[in-house]
Amino acid sequence: MQKKSLTQEELSRRWENIRRNWYKFSRNPLSITGLVMICIILFFTIFAPFVSPYPESAGKFINFYEASQPPSLNHLCGTDAFGRDILTRIFFGCRYSLIMGVTVLLLIVPVGVVLGLIAGYHRGSWLEIVIMRITDIFIAVPPLILALAVCSVLTPSIFNAMLAISIAWWPWYTRLVYGIASSLKEEFFVKSAEVTGANKMYILFREILLNCISPILTKMSLDMGWIILIGSSLSFVGLGAQPPTPDLGSMVADGSKYLPDQWWISVFPAFAIMLIVLSFNLFGDGIRDTLGVERG
Amino acid sequence: MGRTIKFIAKRLAFSVFVLVGLSILIFVIARVMPGNPARMALGARAPEWVVERLREEMHLNEPLYVQYYYWAKGALHGNFGISLVTRRSVANDIKAFFPASLELALYAGIFMGIIGIVLGTISGWYANTWVDNLVRIISYMGIVTPSFVFAIFFVLIFSYVLEILPTIGRLTPGVVPPPSVTGVITFDALITGRFDVFFDALKHLLLPAISLAMGPLSQEARITRASLVDNVQKDYIASERSCGIPERTIMFKYLLKPSLIPTITIYGLDFASILGNAFLVELIFNWPGLSRYGMNAMLQKDLNAITAVVLVLGLVFIIANIVVDLTVGYLDPRIGLGTERSSE
Amino acid sequence: MSKSVKILLVTLCLIGILSLGVASAAERPFRTNWSWPTYIDPAVGSDFSSSTALVNLYDTLFYPDIKGDPQPHIAESWEVSADGLVWTIHLRQGIKFHDGTELTAEDVKFSMDRLITIGEGYAYLFKVIKSTEVLDKYTVVFHLNHPFGPFEAVMYRFYILNKDLVMANIERPGPYGDMGDYGKQYLLTHDAGSGPYMVKAFPLEEYLLMTIHPNYWIPIDPNAPDEYKMIGTCEPVTVRTAMSRRELEIADRWQPVEALDALEKINGIKIGEFDSGLSYYYMVNTKKPPTDDIHFRKAMAWALDYKTVINKVFPGSIQSRGPVNQSLPGADPTIFQYQRNLDKAMAELKQSKYYNQLDEYPVVVAFPSVPADNEKMALLFMSNMADIGIKVETLKVPWASIIEIMASEETSSHVAGVSVAPHYPEAGSLLESRYKSDSVATWEQNEWLLDSKFDAMIEDALKTVNREERFVKYSKTQQYIMDLCPTLFIFDMMAKHPYQVGYIDWPAARGEVIPVMGYNLAGRFIKVYPDKRAELLK
Repeated sequence: MQKKSLTQEELSRRWENIRRNWYKFSRNPLSITGLVMICIILFFTIFAPFVSPYPESAGKFINFYEASQPPSLNHLCGTDAFGRDILTRIFFGCRYSLIMGVTVLLLIVPVGVVLGLIAGYHRGSWLEIVIMRITDIFIAVPPLILALAVCSVLTPSIFNAMLAISIAWWPWYTRLVYGIASSLKEEFFVKSAEVTGANKMYILFREILLNCISPILTKMSLDMGWIILIGSSLSFVGLGAQPPTPDLGSMVADGSKYLPDQWWISVFPAFAIMLIVLSFNLFGDGIRDTLGVERG
Repeated sequence: MGRTIKFIAKRLAFSVFVLVGLSILIFVIARVMPGNPARMALGARAPEWVVERLREEMHLNEPLYVQYYYWAKGALHGNFGISLVTRRSVANDIKAFFPASLELALYAGIFMGIIGIVLGTISGWYANTWVDNLVRIISYMGIVTPSFVFAIFFVLIFSYVLEILPTIGRLTPGVVPPPSVTGVITFDALITGRFDVFFDALKHLLLPAISLAMGPLSQEARITRASLVDNVQKDYIASERSCGIPERTIMFKYLLKPSLIPTITIYGLDFASILGNAFLVELIFNWPGLSRYGMNAMLQKDLNAITAVVLVLGLVFIIANIVVDLTVGYLDPRIGLGTERSSE
Repeated sequence: MSKSVKILLVTLCLIGILSLGVASAAERPFRTNWSWPTYIDPAVGSDFSSSTALVNLYDTLFYPDIKGDPQPHIAESWEVSADGLVWTIHLRQGIKFHDGTELTAEDVKFSMDRLITIGEGYAYLFKVIKSTEVLDKYTVVFHLNHPFGPFEAVMYRFYILNKDLVMANIERPGPYGDMGDYGKQYLLTHDAGSGPYMVKAFPLEEYLLMTIHPNYWIPIDPNAPDEYKMIGTCEPVTVRTAMSRRELEIADRWQPVEALDALEKINGIKIGEFDSGLSYYYMVNTKKPPTDDIHFRKAMAWALDYKTVINKVFPGSIQSRGPVNQSLPGADPTIFQYQRNLDKAMAELKQSKYYNQLDEYPVVVAFPSVPADNEKMALLFMSNMADIGIKVETLKVPWASIIEIMASEETSSHVAGVSVAPHYPEAGSLLESRYKSDSVATWEQNEWLLDSKFDAMIEDALKTVNREERFVKYSKTQQYIMDLCPTLFIFDMMAKHPYQVGYIDWPAARGEVIPVMGYNLAGRFIKVYPDKRAELLK
């Protein structure tokens, strides 16, 4: 009985919190711009099959008789060397980019966070040493290089590209959570939970994790853009999705062969990448300011 | 002083550990891939006994840990094996290609530092004016644009439309390179007094270096601005203002130094993005550097070369971070050396 | 901000001014671009760029004419014994290597021994040689294991090294016992030849710079290039810029159609077209379901739209007629050609045991990511096959991965889109390297034919010394292959090299084509006119 009302109280407190944060977030025009841009991108990517002018262009479609046409009313961004509508392929390409970003985050955040929690909580024990030293090794080389190395030994596919990025990216979450968890470990509420004999799992995932949520969310919203950026770099060198999958990075790479005359083949997908990354950056910055997470 | 030495020693020991770990990691990645690297190196029609001979030579028939043992033994003597593509020792290749990459990274690093800090300072100084907004928009665009997109745009604009800058290699064909002292052409040219070569080399450097620097320099500009704006609101600045100290003096004497600390702190990380993106940019500009060599090695599955290149770049990254830490420690004794830098 | 922008602008201007007046040292430079790597060791190199470098740096016993027939070169005359097992070669006297020492029979024997011992590059062509014997200073004898018809043609790939120079630069220890590394490290970046050009500089992975051999034993035209540079890049933007600035005389043959169109519009640039012996195949795996079924393969052959390939994807090419490029001596001009016919395709498909489960058996087509037009071909294939209900998946990978994928039966794809050139100008070369059992697991055969009857047929043909008889046997093997339908024979590729017609004269572009890979870019037959170049640069 008592417990229920507590939750109720908690709920309303949280609701209040969210409302206040939203107010703070919405005061910043840049953050709102980011959010609106993300919503627009989401709309166009989710409904890509319905809103794109030539949905068949995203699949196994070729029409060499309409190849390399400059932007016109029929094809707003022109057509590529296969005669496919570039605007359509950009919509679908954004889709794959977003899927890539979300999947990578889904793969690495749980792993990175759990490892970080364990290492932070067991500060001083061999567990911490093992986990954090392995993390150090993965961080010792710039992420793009590690991702390229991993990707190059696998068969190029969207899944393998995601795997490669995940291998290069998880340690940052471990580091982040480790930093917070190891300082929280000495805090009063953790100590008291320990004294009252609370379950270790409860301490880790309830007491400590809850306090890491803001920084994790902030990092995730910012990382979304970076992951898409790295993904596009991988596919730029041919280590991404298989044709005819529309993939922004490989669209830029393929189009760059036709520069400068058929500039539209590479320039529009390049803008699309910039736009996606930009919107997630604006959004992420907004989240950070709102949640009051320190930079860096 | 003693503290600094102790710090360096500690960091070096740690670096050795990380390098060994990294070598195992990358060795495993490079070797677990399927296929027969010896066959690939020798071409389609080499008879089986030739392939077998090369496999023996490379210890490819041994279990992984034995291979690693041989590799590590060689690596300790500076021998990273033979490249399957260039057919030279990988150590020689690295010696040959590293200076070009170093030169590129160096100039990119300089551009990133100077332009980033200048832009950030201007932005922070004129905070919330149109200048500030313009710089902020530009730096946002800089951050979100992949370096390969910059590279392609620059090639398009400067060498194709305007035709003022070259796009291939380090020197104009026909220009006799200066005698190699450091391997870094611009330095060699200056040392030997060959100013024409110096400018020719600089001209070739400009586009790739700026393509690489654009992203990180925007990052630096943003951070510099943020911390400047932060520090302006601090009490001590207000009190200085009230004492009638000229704005310019405040700016350069009291404000800039502390504001640069966060900028320099992330310099190391930004340097990572230069090293990583060099893989794509060197490819686009046909820059004969280590990253292009590494990229080709990756595409051609040249195991020894992949392992060595990643290790060398890891080493460069580690050194860059140590330098950054020392600089930060020097600028701000309060932070002190040896404190764990945060992850981002 | 304004300050830094000013500084930037000033720097840019300064650089612009200073960049003028940087001139090339050579009077008639000749530059081509290639995909790397290039190996200039005759016992190592065998691809297109290596072959071209070798042709310029080294001399061979015979030299091919435009029909591919052997002409005397280092060999002044030669005769073969009645049983076809002994070839006696009389060498021309007084030929000097680049360092001035004379080329003798000792050098010939050394070069052949070295090639066979090392076993890489073109060595596999010389399996037939049992031993080499020095009869006297200018006479050398090759003893063969069995009679071998295309002996002279194979010899276009045998380059003669300066024995003394190589021996002086051997590194010990090495994998070849007494011979140490057999001079491999040295020959990686140096030449030891007598050819019309010699290595001046070779920064690996960047370019190979060769300079003319002033005392070459055949007088070289005064307009021939005095410097020959092979640059290691195929990036279209780069190629295009260099061509328009007249910094590249002949561009590579892998430029995409759109790039060719753009280049052709530039004043003084033309596309040199010739049939280079290269054919483009969709090699179909005959051991893997569903392509192990001949009806399935025939259905694919009927469904492919060859006309669109020829007109749109690789314009200017000719539809292949069976496994052998039609420009090669020994190709059978009467071989059957498939045309797109969906009715016939469906009829074949219905006979296939996979007809009712097409969705469960997608066909994977692997192809290298360079040249870019491969992808167009793959997507056309995908869309053509969809018309008869066959599902296609693409596997676009770097070249190295193609080799890796094709290296074993398990990993090899259903279809591999690869172009293959003959190693010597005769039908037998392609027939052997494409379908004989010992070429499975290499990138030249994805069919996994493993057909002992075919092996016997081609071996018999190659052993036939009489040319007419040999060609009749080639015809029969071509017919035999056609009946198995192991390959989609797509097109004989026109090599399309953009070149500076305004100031160079290139025999191959005029139609004087030598059907051996690399020989059409022999520098001594090309002429460069610097004053016309200066005119174009104005």
